[in-house]
Amino acid sequence: MKNFIEFDGVSFAYEENEEGLTAETVIENMNLKIGKGDFVAVLGHNGCGKSTLAKLCNAILVPQQGKVYIDGIDTADEDRLYDIRQRVGMVFQNPDNQIVATIVEDDVAFGPENLGVEPSEIRKRVDEALKNVGMYEFRSFEPHKLSGGQKQRVAIAGIIAMQPDCIVLDEPTAMLDPRGRREVMATVKRLNKEYGITVIFITHYMDEAVKADRVIVMDKGKIVLDGKPKEVFVNIDTLKKIGLDVPEATELTHLLIEKGVNLPEDILDIDELYSYIINLTEEKN
Amino acid sequence: MISDITIGQYYKGDSFVHKMDPRIKILITVLFLVMIFMCKNFLSLLLTGVIVAVSILASRVPFRMFLKSLKPIIPIVLFTAVINIFYIGGGKELLSLGFITVTSKGIFTAVFMAVRIVLLIMSSSILTYTTVPTMLTDAIEKLLSPLKIFHIQVHTLAMMMTLALRFIPTLIEEIERIMNAQKARGADFENGSLTERAKALVPVLIPLFVSAFRRAYELAFAMNCRCYTGGEGRTRMKQMKLKASDFIAFAVFIAGFIGVIMINKIFGVVI
Amino acid sequence: MSISILETKNLTHVYSKGTTSQVDAIRDISLKIEKGELVGIIGHTGSGKSTLIQHFNGLLKGTSGTVLLDGKDIWEDKSKIRNVRFRVGICFQYPEYQLFEDTVYKDIAFGPTNMKLSENEIDRRVRSVISFVGLDESYLDKSPFDLSGGEKRRVAIAGVMAMEPDVLILDEPCAGLDPKGRDTVLSLISDYRKNTGSTVLVVSHSMEDISKIATKVLVMNESRLAYYDTVDAVFSHSEELKNMGLNIPVITSLFLKLKEKGYDVNTDVYTLERARDELLSLLKGGKSE
Repeated sequence: MKNFIEFDGVSFAYEENEEGLTAETVIENMNLKIGKGDFVAVLGHNGCGKSTLAKLCNAILVPQQGKVYIDGIDTADEDRLYDIRQRVGMVFQNPDNQIVATIVEDDVAFGPENLGVEPSEIRKRVDEALKNVGMYEFRSFEPHKLSGGQKQRVAIAGIIAMQPDCIVLDEPTAMLDPRGRREVMATVKRLNKEYGITVIFITHYMDEAVKADRVIVMDKGKIVLDGKPKEVFVNIDTLKKIGLDVPEATELTHLLIEKGVNLPEDILDIDELYSYIINLTEEKN
Repeated sequence: MISDITIGQYYKGDSFVHKMDPRIKILITVLFLVMIFMCKNFLSLLLTGVIVAVSILASRVPFRMFLKSLKPIIPIVLFTAVINIFYIGGGKELLSLGFITVTSKGIFTAVFMAVRIVLLIMSSSILTYTTVPTMLTDAIEKLLSPLKIFHIQVHTLAMMMTLALRFIPTLIEEIERIMNAQKARGADFENGSLTERAKALVPVLIPLFVSAFRRAYELAFAMNCRCYTGGEGRTRMKQMKLKASDFIAFAVFIAGFIGVIMINKIFGVVI
Repeated sequence: MSISILETKNLTHVYSKGTTSQVDAIRDISLKIEKGELVGIIGHTGSGKSTLIQHFNGLLKGTSGTVLLDGKDIWEDKSKIRNVRFRVGICFQYPEYQLFEDTVYKDIAFGPTNMKLSENEIDRRVRSVISFVGLDESYLDKSPFDLSGGEKRRVAIAGVMAMEPDVLILDEPCAGLDPKGRDTVLSLISDYRKNTGSTVLVVSHSMEDISKIATKVLVMNESRLAYYDTVDAVFSHSEELKNMGLNIPVITSLFLKLKEKGYDVNTDVYTLERARDELLSLLKGGKSE
């Protein structure tokens, strides 16, 4: 599979203490390859460097050591800056602070307008993007009349209207209620499945990370775990040590295995555990 | 409450007025303001009043919305009216209480001025109620674009206006939130001397500025990520095109404008 | 019978048509909250839970009905409403955005100063509360704007705790925090209740969090009070909760499913250890169809 994003020996440190970032938030000698069409969750606690990772992906930050390649383009190449930003769209945590216009559809049009796309083509892209995130019927609404989850979906529409290959979402659900979180997750999942858009989903909610194809766990600027959800979440002790949650079903399974119950150790889902328990009790009788 | 402010509010609709080219609407509104102050007698004022009334009807925005927009300026209207009643002399003396004299000319002027202010607000409300804010700023950008030769950053100005309109409701919500939080810690905004009350606002203003700066920073970031580089090379989804109906509306308005001048000439200046 | 500290009688807050207010309505809420309880308040966005808590300290006044604090109508004397706010402290969502002073000390002292307490008393409270939230006294001279997100949150909560309210209300105290920060704040809240004996109300979206610390659960749905009962009693209505768009804790759902299938299990299970023991006894011994 072709690598869409490639980190090659990347190190990054904030030289100055700008906006409260301390010198600890660094990336240390990171090697990472993300293929086209992957759905990758990046899990880690606050200050582990995961936001920095996101910013390195679309040339907001450029590494001091090593190289970041997006679709083969070196992010240090300033002439290609907007080629990179058009390929890798970003969605941020606070939905209010990324909506520019006073009407939903005008906001979605903002990106394509900046790229100088033809007006009729913008119209087409905006309508399609809004339909894709399920916000078409809200196209003439004012953003402040929408719920958090709806605003965040508008922000996602604003990105996909630029027709990127990849979306990086930096804790997009941290400020949302459960319903908003579900809406955003479902939207992103669909964009990945139906349109093959590469997704990097940064979060500290493990229940969201479980839904990804691949989970990367970061701590202190390094990748600690990397693999399929089932491979990553069996490492309960490692995850707990760095202050992250483990799916409760997995943790319960491990507690039972400790007591000699015969269960596979990579159960992630409570329904999965339920059916194993049913089987065990029926075996006995 | 603060949330009752109607500035820049848009009232959804698809009337003739809504569909008019925003540039023409702005031009008409500006000329209309001039026209209101050109009215020199009641007949010409009546004509401008009729134009406003017809425009309101054509916009199909409910009349109560216009009353709502008048609410915040009622004190100003009353204030100017009272000043005029007491300070404008001449005409028949109607009432005399010590040093206060009310004359017929005073009342006449007071009513005239009050009607002018009301028409002023209503006509600008027609513009904002029927025009999407972004279209408004786009139109201003277009209308002011000749200023570019004087190296005035017209696009930046228009973008700033759009962002201001976008963030007014957000910041109003924020003010209410912060005020509630400080009230919960015993802050008192209602009682005390003027200085005490001004001091009581510090716990609201500081968090508000901190948050506004944070928002501005994040917004700039997000705009950068969406490839914003200023006005150069930008296209627009919504194109403005002058239609025949725009010219007709403009012509009708100009006719009214000339009408006011004629009425002033024929019936004389009363005020 | 224990004494109720907060009580509402037919409390209603509705809006006349056409107002632009962002607050959700509440209708006909009657409830009694007993002294010393830790009440978890749940309900999806727009259910009226935020509106409800703002009535408890008189930030909002119901369009009809009453709120009683210690048996007395809080609006009995309008000029004394500030005293009610000192007795019922509310810490709003993202409280770190209300910090404004140049030192942590002054910011925590803001509430106590408004209460017109003596300087000694203010000093005592600031120092005790800062250590309670797990920050040492060296923080007191720092600017609140230089702290990390989690520290700011704790300082802001401390600012409300320093008023030593009889009832402490926290709206989504864990919103936006990572798991570590969330656990710190949750244990802080439950310790606060244990140490002071105060009544605590916590609004949260997370059933897991509520089930871990609460003694009672209050459920709001479409402007009305759906349930106010013990944790077990409320979570036993799993179907109804689901219809309201709410979830019960993942672990509890496992036991409810087993019970439905005809297994003899308890369903008041919220912790992993309890779940393990319950499952072990199920697997070892008695199963009944």
